[in-house]
Amino acid sequence: MLTKYLTTFTVIIALLFTAIGCGSSMVIQDVDFSQPIESVLTPDSDQMVHDQRFGIKFSIAKILDREGIQSVDEVRLIRNRAGYYFITADGFNNVYVFEAAERELKKKNVIEISSEGISSPAFNQRDRYIELVDRASGQTYNLDQTGRR
Amino acid sequence: MNFNNQYLKLYTLFLALFFIFASSALVAQQSDFQIQQDFRAEMAALNERVELAVSTQELEVLEEELASLRDRFSEYSAIINAAIYPDTFEASVNRAEDNRAAFAERYAVIEQLNERVDDLNAEMDVFRDRINQMTLESEDLQDQIERSAASESRQAALIRQYRQNIELRDSFVSDFLEELLMRYQTMDRSTHEGLAETTGRMDDNPLQVIKTIISEYINVADQTSGLETPDYLGMRAQHGYFSDVWGRIGDRLVNTFDPDRPVQAKQEVEDLLAAWLASVDNRLWNSLTTAFNQNNIQLGPFTSPQTFNTALNNYVDGGIEISLESNSEEDYRIYRNFRDFWNNTVKASWGEALVDGNILSQSDIAAIDIKLNSWGEAAQPTSRLMFILFLVSVAVILGLVILLLMKSK
Repeated sequence: MLTKYLTTFTVIIALLFTAIGCGSSMVIQDVDFSQPIESVLTPDSDQMVHDQRFGIKFSIAKILDREGIQSVDEVRLIRNRAGYYFITADGFNNVYVFEAAERELKKKNVIEISSEGISSPAFNQRDRYIELVDRASGQTYNLDQTGRR
Repeated sequence: MNFNNQYLKLYTLFLALFFIFASSALVAQQSDFQIQQDFRAEMAALNERVELAVSTQELEVLEEELASLRDRFSEYSAIINAAIYPDTFEASVNRAEDNRAAFAERYAVIEQLNERVDDLNAEMDVFRDRINQMTLESEDLQDQIERSAASESRQAALIRQYRQNIELRDSFVSDFLEELLMRYQTMDRSTHEGLAETTGRMDDNPLQVIKTIISEYINVADQTSGLETPDYLGMRAQHGYFSDVWGRIGDRLVNTFDPDRPVQAKQEVEDLLAAWLASVDNRLWNSLTTAFNQNNIQLGPFTSPQTFNTALNNYVDGGIEISLESNSEEDYRIYRNFRDFWNNTVKASWGEALVDGNILSQSDIAAIDIKLNSWGEAAQPTSRLMFILFLVSVAVILGLVILLLMKSK
């Protein structure tokens, strides 16, 4: 009885290991997703922006709703090393942080910068963070996906 | 006082620190996107200015500005490289510099050519002024010749002066043509093409001067009175030389100085040359006919070098034929008249101009000389003394024979 139980247990364990070995996905570590220069994108009439160079196209309608703005002339977009997208525009109060998913950009964080709106913002890629420059005031903010650093 | 000094030092230190922080903040406030945009804009503007530059001085300034751009943006080369990938900062600046250098080299050549054009312009001005002056002198002399018809000696002196004026013009034009020959016959293709690009701004290029000269020659041939055969022969010789030079450098001149319409320009000059020849010939054949007639030599009609040569040959052939038939003193006189005129005037005075003017070739003249010798032999009248001596000899021989016969009987 014990022998039969041990044999069954061994077979189950072997099958389990085989199943785990066959089903595991390959993971590449330490990927640098950083985009060296921000993209300055002009929305079309449907509030779609298209970054031809880095190959991304999406609607900013929901972001504009959240900011309570009808339209903007330009949207500034940059991706940090971890792969999060940072989005803002002239007059926005916040920087929006998104992570890429299957045909989606999922909101990761909304970083409040100024209640009066950022004027002439620009993103710079820095070694460990994204630098946001308010070119009107000259103020800079160091950001990552978790918020201000 | 001491307190004030210390306060001032502190204030100055604070101010300096403030400026250092403020300036570092200003540097930090730059947008990478803006930097690369500025670089692209400045580079595009510089490239455009290189394309539009019109002098080496402008291109030298651009060289400095490119160097300055390289200095100012080199610290951002990583950002710029990322922004303009697959192009790079170094490659784009180097390309702009290479382009600028190529333009500078081209403009250096153009400026050299411009200097040559300026020289040519100056030469053309001098030449045109001299030709105009000669034309005025000619017209003045022509007027004087017409006004002094009453005084033969005065008219003869003026005509002499007029001839000298024409000879001077011929010599001056010949020097000009020699100069053109030397310059354009040996000019290499690249210089010739380069010069063609810059001659548009010449007020009076050699092609136009050539047309002016030919027009002046046509006027002289058409309007001059009081000239004689040697003068017209000289004009035809000058035409022959002009045509020869044109044949050698005409294509180069039209391609250099009228590159937009070379065929038409060449045809214009050739039409003028033909008109000049027609004007000279119109006077020349009449003048030659008159000269031969005045020396009692009635040549057949002629209106071209070929028919003139034929008329001369027919005259000599006819003389030989008559001399062979009649062998009279009169034939011999006709022969001698022609021989003297041929040797002393046609060959001695006109020979060179006849050959240079393509009227008679050396071989044509030599052929007449040979025929003239035959004519001389045929025309030489046989002496009557010989005939009398012959009769006397026959009579003496007959007398001797009769005497011998009588003696033997």
